[in-house]
Amino acid sequence: MIAECVREADVLEAVAFGRWPDRCGDLAAHVASCEVCSDLVEVARALHDDRAWLCREAQPPSAGMVWWRATIRARAEAARTAARPISVLQGIAGACFVGAAAGIATVAWHSIHWMDRIGELAVSLESRRADIASASTFAAGHGLPILIAVAAGLVLAPLALYITLADD
Amino acid sequence: MHDMTLSELEQLGDDVAVSEGTFQMDEDAFRLFYERTSRPVWAYLSRMSGDAKLADDLLQEAYYRFLRANVSHESDAHRRNYLFRIATNLVRDMRRRPRVAESPLADGIGNIEHADPQSADAANGAVRRLDLARSMARLKPRERDLLWLAYAQGSSHKEIAETLGLKAASIKLLLFRARRRLAGLLREGGR
Repeated sequence: MIAECVREADVLEAVAFGRWPDRCGDLAAHVASCEVCSDLVEVARALHDDRAWLCREAQPPSAGMVWWRATIRARAEAARTAARPISVLQGIAGACFVGAAAGIATVAWHSIHWMDRIGELAVSLESRRADIASASTFAAGHGLPILIAVAAGLVLAPLALYITLADD
Repeated sequence: MHDMTLSELEQLGDDVAVSEGTFQMDEDAFRLFYERTSRPVWAYLSRMSGDAKLADDLLQEAYYRFLRANVSHESDAHRRNYLFRIATNLVRDMRRRPRVAESPLADGIGNIEHADPQSADAANGAVRRLDLARSMARLKPRERDLLWLAYAQGSSHKEIAETLGLKAASIKLLLFRARRRLAGLLREGGR
């Protein structure tokens, strides 16, 4: 429930304009007997004085400095916003590279198995098919460098992607 | 996100010098508005955050957001209320963030240290401000906002409602309760 007093506005005005308590006449007598206005004076005077003191003591930066900083920051944000599509394209390119590397790795992996099977088949054949066996062994021997290259790609591509997108 | 180098900042500064229209408000109008409002806004931020140093940062951020909003205002009072709304939201955001140590009385204690010891008025004033700071610290954040806007800033109920995002009809009751509570705390000496 709100307790109100018709003289609240007068009290508030007296405090706001610095007339309280010396130049208030009968208002001071009223406040002494009115709980609502007594609370109002207590609070309004404390806050009014505190604000006045803080405003006197405040040392805000100059308007020019605030304007300059705000303008610089707005420009920097605009530049970042403009650069965002480029970063997205770079990210897509990186993702495509990773996808292609994964595809190549899969194909290479299957090729190695296929060549291994040929090698096993060749070993199982008689010596008169030695030419097929030697070809299979050759392919299996070169499969390792291919595997290493693909693995390096898989490791480096996400790293490149991270570095590209790190600026965002 | 990387920090900008000095040369990049200078380049941006050059861009600023040659191009206008970054904000809706021009620099001269901003200077006038800033001169009229910066101290009251700083006082509000300082008392609501309880940290004078933090108030410096929040002040810069408040004016930046104000400029970036590019909102047209029908009057200077409306513009000022909008700025206070931004300041209020900044303080709310700050309150939500975890802090290493709460120091709502830091500037109040500092005030006493810096008061002129030969001046009884100054000493009394410092004690009253410390009492107020202690008492305000015991209020709810919304009560602090309400009381400051109403009795320090002199805002109307409608303006307070707009600034704090409350219904105008509820301001009277909320303000009455907050006022009664603060008056009680002040009479106890903020303890």
